[in-house]
Amino acid sequence: MSMANDSFAANVRAKRARLVSTVLQYALAAIVVVVVVFPVYWMIISSLKTSEELLRPVPSLWPAEFRWRNYSDALAMAPFGKYFFNTLVMTMGIMSLQLVIGSFAAYGFSKGRFPGRDALFVVVLGALMIPIQVTFVPIYGMVAKLHWINTFAGLIVPHAVSAYMIFMLRQTFKSVDDSFLEAARLEGMGRIGIIFKILVPMCKPTMLTVGIISFIDGWNSYFWPKMVTTTPFRRTIAQGVYELKRSYAGLETMNQNQIMAGAVMAVVPIIVLFVVLQKYILSGFSKAASK
Amino acid sequence: MKANGNAITGRRGASHRKREKAKDFLCVAPALAFFAVFVYYPLVDLFRIGFTNWNLIRDDYKYVGLKNYKWLFKGSGFDTWLASLKVTFSYTFWEIVITLAGGMLLAALFNRESKAFSAMRSIVFMPKYIAISTSAIVFMWILNDQYGFLNFVMGIFGKEPVAWLNSERTALTSVLILTGWRVVGYGMMIYLSAMKGISKDYYEAAELDGANAFLRFRHITLPLLSPTTLFLFVTTFIASMKVFQSIDVMTSGGPYESTNVMVYWIYDLAFVQFRVDRAAVVASVFFVILLAFTAATMKISNKSVHYES
Repeated sequence: MSMANDSFAANVRAKRARLVSTVLQYALAAIVVVVVVFPVYWMIISSLKTSEELLRPVPSLWPAEFRWRNYSDALAMAPFGKYFFNTLVMTMGIMSLQLVIGSFAAYGFSKGRFPGRDALFVVVLGALMIPIQVTFVPIYGMVAKLHWINTFAGLIVPHAVSAYMIFMLRQTFKSVDDSFLEAARLEGMGRIGIIFKILVPMCKPTMLTVGIISFIDGWNSYFWPKMVTTTPFRRTIAQGVYELKRSYAGLETMNQNQIMAGAVMAVVPIIVLFVVLQKYILSGFSKAASK
Repeated sequence: MKANGNAITGRRGASHRKREKAKDFLCVAPALAFFAVFVYYPLVDLFRIGFTNWNLIRDDYKYVGLKNYKWLFKGSGFDTWLASLKVTFSYTFWEIVITLAGGMLLAALFNRESKAFSAMRSIVFMPKYIAISTSAIVFMWILNDQYGFLNFVMGIFGKEPVAWLNSERTALTSVLILTGWRVVGYGMMIYLSAMKGISKDYYEAAELDGANAFLRFRHITLPLLSPTTLFLFVTTFIASMKVFQSIDVMTSGGPYESTNVMVYWIYDLAFVQFRVDRAAVVASVFFVILLAFTAATMKISNKSVHYES
């Protein structure tokens, strides 16, 4: 009897301990989430306040009055439409080129047969070790000679091939059994058919993942677009908010609401994309880490 | 295909195979040509420019030997170089610590299967996908001396307001606050996906042997995650040594060069001071340092990483 009682008490104690640890885990995780979300929340809230409310000694957590005009004011200060257009063209250009050239290269390095194949693949991997942040001075010189400053060619071409993408695609193409390729060849399919009608559809999840990552990287890229654009004419959105801020020279603080409105506009597309496509983004990162 | 291949014999077969090989090579040729023109040639050119006196104001230049290297190692560039190396490495050190330690901690905290946790994980991971330049501007507002939310919160706890980005003592910390916000969720996600791959059997066996949660973490999770830690270490090292965006937006290398990281300095030399020759030398030396550190890490890690067999 007492033994049964003991084990009952132990059981209750264990259950209570588990409950406490569960509650604690939820509470701590919620705190982390609040801290992470806060800057985004603060950006949105600040973008809707009046200048007067913005500069109160005790900041308000919710706007007393919503000033939607901050958005149109921000749009009047900086050519956001132009920035969006430039960013979209640049990003789509980079992504398409990277996917097409990358698929060809990944096919050659995984299924192709030619002498020196694996030695040449080292050339691809080596490129990962030479970032544009090191070589931008000569690349700038080259691009300037080609008269590509402030052009889409200048924005796109130096990023047209991604060693990382070739690496990822090669890994996936390798996993496709050769018998599929043999069958396609018997049907009289050439290389282009094999790559784009067999390998690419069979590796769709990876294609999507690397495509999305390329898109997001392009959308957020800052370093090279800054080097290669000197006027708003071909400037991209990642520089756009900074340019907006600079256009208030000296009066940034009181116009912080409009600057935040610009930031919201720049961030919304990427947040939407992240929410819709996060499945592929997350799988891409675990794939990269496991290789 | 095989039967077909055997049927074609002699010269025609040989030339056919040769053509096939050439076609296979043609598939990789565009990528290789690109790397030659936009990666390897610029690297060689970078070293060459270092031996000239080229600046963006004049078009002509001549070779001046080791003059720029002397400027860097023995001349007026040396102090700035050392300071820049120091701030770059200390930024990198902290970004690695935040990614690895913070990521591991959050991975342990968020390692729970439920809809709520899955949603919370995504939220914590999201900042990595917001352009650094844009989040930098939001953080500058939060870190504002007078009206910033952070100083307001610190005021509630009786702390004096901090000049954050305007003081050489706190500028790097300010940038690192943004960095921490961006990278900690990434570290968490990478660790979580690796933790999923660890077999439950280990934990059950250890539990039977009486190992508590800490011991299980210390002797099972940690060693089995070491390939992941190495991956994060190397990729974070390379990424954070190249830090530019947050510095450019938040501090422009200041105040008093206290955040003058290497890439920002190279950019400043080339495009603000127009000393392309000096920028090339600094970039060349920087490249050698990056390469040496990465190679050393790989070498050391081959000895100390546990791979699950």
